[in-house]
Amino acid sequence: MPPKAPRNFLGLVLIAPALAVVVLLFLIPLCEAVLGAFRTDAGFGLENVSKTYALYSRDIAFTFVIIALSALLIALISVLFSGYLTLGTNARAVALLRWLYRWPLFVPFIVVGQILRTFLAKNGLMNNLIVSTGAVSPMDTIGFLDWRGVVIAFVWKQVPFVTLLLAGAMASLDRGTIEAARNLGASRIRLLLEIVLPQVASTLMVALTLSVVTMMSVLSVPLMLNPHSPTMITVNMAFRINAYGDYGVANVLGLVSFAITGLVAWIYLRATLKENIR
Amino acid sequence: MRNWILGTAAAALVISAAPAVAEDLTVITAGDQNMVDYVNNYLAPIFEESHPGVHVRAVGTGPGDAGSQKIIERLEAQKKAGKETWDSDVIVVHQKAAGGLVEGDLIARYRDDIDTGKLVTRANADKALGADVKGYVMPMFNSQTALAYNPDLVKTPPQSYAELAAWAKTHPKQFGYNGIKGGMSGVSFVVGWVYAFGQDAAMLENGPFEKSEMDKQADAFKKLKDFNQYVSFTPGNAGTLDMLSRGEIAMGPVWVDMFYSWQANGQLPPNLKLLLPKPGMPGQPMYYAIPAKAPHADLARAFIELATSPKIQAEGIVKKFNWYPGIDADNVKPELDDATWQKLFTDITPEELASRGNAFPIKAYFDGILETYERTVNN
Repeated sequence: MPPKAPRNFLGLVLIAPALAVVVLLFLIPLCEAVLGAFRTDAGFGLENVSKTYALYSRDIAFTFVIIALSALLIALISVLFSGYLTLGTNARAVALLRWLYRWPLFVPFIVVGQILRTFLAKNGLMNNLIVSTGAVSPMDTIGFLDWRGVVIAFVWKQVPFVTLLLAGAMASLDRGTIEAARNLGASRIRLLLEIVLPQVASTLMVALTLSVVTMMSVLSVPLMLNPHSPTMITVNMAFRINAYGDYGVANVLGLVSFAITGLVAWIYLRATLKENIR
Repeated sequence: MRNWILGTAAAALVISAAPAVAEDLTVITAGDQNMVDYVNNYLAPIFEESHPGVHVRAVGTGPGDAGSQKIIERLEAQKKAGKETWDSDVIVVHQKAAGGLVEGDLIARYRDDIDTGKLVTRANADKALGADVKGYVMPMFNSQTALAYNPDLVKTPPQSYAELAAWAKTHPKQFGYNGIKGGMSGVSFVVGWVYAFGQDAAMLENGPFEKSEMDKQADAFKKLKDFNQYVSFTPGNAGTLDMLSRGEIAMGPVWVDMFYSWQANGQLPPNLKLLLPKPGMPGQPMYYAIPAKAPHADLARAFIELATSPKIQAEGIVKKFNWYPGIDADNVKPELDDATWQKLFTDITPEELASRGNAFPIKAYFDGILETYERTVNN
């Protein structure tokens, strides 16, 4: 008898706790939510879906645009930051940036929401500072407590995360390629865009994917900065449950956000698979 | 905050000092942190003094209907699990939750068993948004929404919804409210709007629900959509007060108790005032109730009896927390000094409160109004 069976059994025992956690805490609630999305008073049907479409199609589009815009800005800023960290020549400025940029990583989203709520208001700290320089009169200020506030919060919170991963990837690159290009007279921006960035593109993809999934799940920031209309899917899910006790439509909204994150997860998987094959 | 820390510390001391036979009276309350503070810091010490060996423990489930929803789900889960005794003795819930609790046999009838039961005659002690809850609940307090305004910026404030609509057009962005997803003060403003431009409040408050009646609100929502172009949107109940205090808006709907508490703390300028516009704005009570299988039902009744006694209603509810009393005001007035009574009724007179303080609509209309707002005004 080959000793294979007991070994398999032992392996199963070892993964059983993890498997049980996944099944109990993730798969079962997921199935429950999927079923719940189609459960109506009159049996299974598409009533919740059509209601979601009628009431929240604008908010779904809004969520999509906000997340896309935030991801774009995050990519842009973190490429610049990590590029400077890798290619910067002023040692003091690089050290300062390295010391500063990670701070928002340790601030929870709800605190970001709370800070920005007073910072970005029409007569808030930001505008008061601008007014005190005499650049703008108090009458002409505008508040940023709407979609702009949400984008600012997301970008502020996620840029450090993406920069952290990206700067790490850039630091482990072969300096030889960079120095060679530099010797041939490439400008720093060209170095970044044509030499460094292509080599860390998959890391950037992965970092952005994780950021998108994180942003999709944030309730506190939109709730504190932009709870009116249009707003993010998460606010509407909370509202469906809290105001109406309606889990059906909330489940459909959950499926919609799952579809969006599923899409980026697919991109993520493709990127990592390619990486692994290579 | 300081009080809260002290309170927690005191509670911890009580826990460690209590004898081994001590009984825990568990109070679960929906609402903001101030509800938990009220029970832990104010009611608990008084009750524990008269009931040696009993320890009162309050747990909050969060603000708004979400908080009440959590309590319902908690009791339902224990009922479904077939437990002999449940984990809470007293619950404090919003008006919207009461009907479902009675229907689901989740709470016990007790009002006739306590002495203070007859001190309340107001309609909302018997009916909660159209549902019959007589005997099952005692109002802890009544809260009311009203319009707060800055008299420096608004010399002659609009006295009715119709005047407000006209005023907003000539003063764009000066009126602010929080929509319907950022807290109940905005919801209340919208319901008041429907009372003003849609249908008679009495019909919506008492039911019965007729689907055809919802169609008659179309015009009111069209007006509201138009009105929304001239207003600022605020981030939540507290957000409206914040924007008022920073002078970003001149007028907006607020909860009266929050308004007075913030003013007392210095978070709002002292010159801000309140008014209750015609035809009226809704308010709501919070209810004390006892779960059907409360482990200490006797203690729970004694606790509620104390909490709804005229003295506690005067000292705690009116004086300390700026709420309107839960039991009839006539029973509370003798316990209060004139200054406190005057303060509560300076801007809004008792007569105005009586004639313009509405209830929220019955649940079907209420949900209908919110959903119509989402469908027509937001889209």
